Amino acid sequence: MMARFLPILAVAAALVLPLATSNTYFHHLLVLWMLYSLLALSLNIIVGYIGELSFGHAAFFGIGAYTAAILGMNFGFPGFPGLLMAGIVAGAFGFVIGYVALRIEGPQFVILTLGFGSIIFTTTNYWVDLTRGPMGISNIAPLGVGAGFELSSALDYYYLSLLLVVAFAYACHALMLSRTGRAFIAVRENAQLAASLGVDVFRTKLLAFVVATAVAGVAGAIFAHYLTVITPEVMSLNYMVAILIMVIVGGRGTIAGPILGALIYVGLLELLRATGALRMVIFAALLTVSVIFLPGGLVSLWRRFADRSTVRTARQAQVEAGE
Amino acid sequence: MTILSVNTLTKKFGGLTAVSDVDFEVQPGEILGIIGPNGAGKTTLFNMLAGSMQPTSGTVHLKGQNITGMRADRIARLGVARTFQITSLFPALSAHDNVRAATYRTKKTGWMASIFRTATYRAEEADVDRDAMAALHFCDLAGHADDNAESLSYGDQRRLEIAIALAAKPALLLLDEPAAGMNPEEGQRLVNMIRKIRDNGTSVLLVEHHMRVVMGVCDRVVVLDHGEKIAEGTPAAVVDNPDVIRVYLGREAVSA
Ligand SMILES: Nc1ncnc2c1ncn2[C@@H]1O[C@H](COP(=O)(O)OP(=O)(O)OP(=O)(O)O)[C@@H](O)[C@H]1O
Ligand SMILES: [Mg+2]
Repeated sequence: MMARFLPILAVAAALVLPLATSNTYFHHLLVLWMLYSLLALSLNIIVGYIGELSFGHAAFFGIGAYTAAILGMNFGFPGFPGLLMAGIVAGAFGFVIGYVALRIEGPQFVILTLGFGSIIFTTTNYWVDLTRGPMGISNIAPLGVGAGFELSSALDYYYLSLLLVVAFAYACHALMLSRTGRAFIAVRENAQLAASLGVDVFRTKLLAFVVATAVAGVAGAIFAHYLTVITPEVMSLNYMVAILIMVIVGGRGTIAGPILGALIYVGLLELLRATGALRMVIFAALLTVSVIFLPGGLVSLWRRFADRSTVRTARQAQVEAGE
Repeated sequence: MTILSVNTLTKKFGGLTAVSDVDFEVQPGEILGIIGPNGAGKTTLFNMLAGSMQPTSGTVHLKGQNITGMRADRIARLGVARTFQITSLFPALSAHDNVRAATYRTKKTGWMASIFRTATYRAEEADVDRDAMAALHFCDLAGHADDNAESLSYGDQRRLEIAIALAAKPALLLLDEPAAGMNPEEGQRLVNMIRKIRDNGTSVLLVEHHMRVVMGVCDRVVVLDHGEKIAEGTPAAVVDNPDVIRVYLGREAVSA
């Protein structure tokens, strides 16, 4: 019962949360939280559901951001159709890269995604004619529908990205209750057995990869419109690792996990602002500790707690049955 | 119509010929046993039939359709299910979820339908649950539906593998040493199960070392040795075959 209402409560809390203060910096952090949540939820499809480790995800976030920025700058493309285009372009890159990389399994796949991510990062840095290089693109127009209605405040962006996070989280939830989702998990748990049951392992992974990269692209596009500036920095190694930290520390393969992971990331980034470069060391340590001591991520703590009562009753029943 | 027809099937690993010019057929409603000493090529033969290994030469036809060298998932979708010699499950999932995943082949509604919770989706999910419970029941595992696969006893795990294969509703079931490591009582349970599977209309190809199981359940037996078929016939005829006796010499298994 509790589990049924928890998501609704969480959404209600998220809706009223920004009203607690008019502090715009707090609102800004909330926007980052939501956009990173969307990004982490998308990576979770790859890392959590089909069980492949991808380091390249920041690149697709960047591709989406740059697609929106370039379409707006060079072609006067309006915001909302631009979001769609950003998703399509990032998904198309995801298709091509996934098509090449997903045939290869294990550590080589991880290295390939790192390679592709670095190539895209470097290209963005050096293809100055298209991307303006390390300077980045600034003065990106805010999201809007024509001139009359524009998202102008952080609050507007927060509600937009919250809407997308809720919609995508629901889609992930539905996925896990569908035939397609069972195929994802089957591929993750035992690819050979999955194939023997009729699952096209490669196509299933590719579907997951394209969906994940397309959603990352949309998140990137909103990020670009919101900040009005985009630089290649969003595709750097720091970001590649950051998204993985959100998913793994939060709890891969769950819906609450990546959202919690994004919150922790944004929160810690603020708390540790004074420590400068040391931050990355702390994040890396966090990832290591989490992988060793809490492989299910922080959400698994909750589950452990919630399961304890049911486990005990099951054992009780066994004892009574004379085990 | 003949379910499975294997012609001059051969597999070479470099200089080693693991399966050599093997021919046989499986008829509808038949339980065909494949026996032979260790390294005879039984698993290699299975892997070629199921698509997880490419034959060097020869052909395999399923209900008249040429499936030689087809990918494993495509052959599975045509109605062939298999178990593996080394236990192969989804260890972290519950027994029920293991079997639910195996209904993949017989269902078709996708992700979009689940998002909108369409009537078709809900009806199909109810089917998935029902099919999965039926397969668990069939394999005497209904009481373990919520247990993780990895927490089951060895015998239960082996029967869960069969439940998984059955949930795919195959026309042909390939079992690779399902009785390995089972005690006699579990072996007998397995024999009854395999008979029931056949009675429900699935043809069975059974690789087995336990002679008791082979003798008890197979309609016909193919004997492999060093990749070659050295005998074929009813279980009673095969155990009297001098070549088979020679191959199994010193193994009390034959007379068991
Ligand atoms: N992938 C492979 N590469 C090289 N040789 C292989 C490979 N797979 C099997 N073999 C060899 O092929 C021969 C047949 O092996 P196979 O596993 O098919 O025998 P089997 O009849 O299933 O034996 P067992 O009863 O021990 O399961 C053996 O000599 C084995 O070493
Ligand atoms: Mg074998």
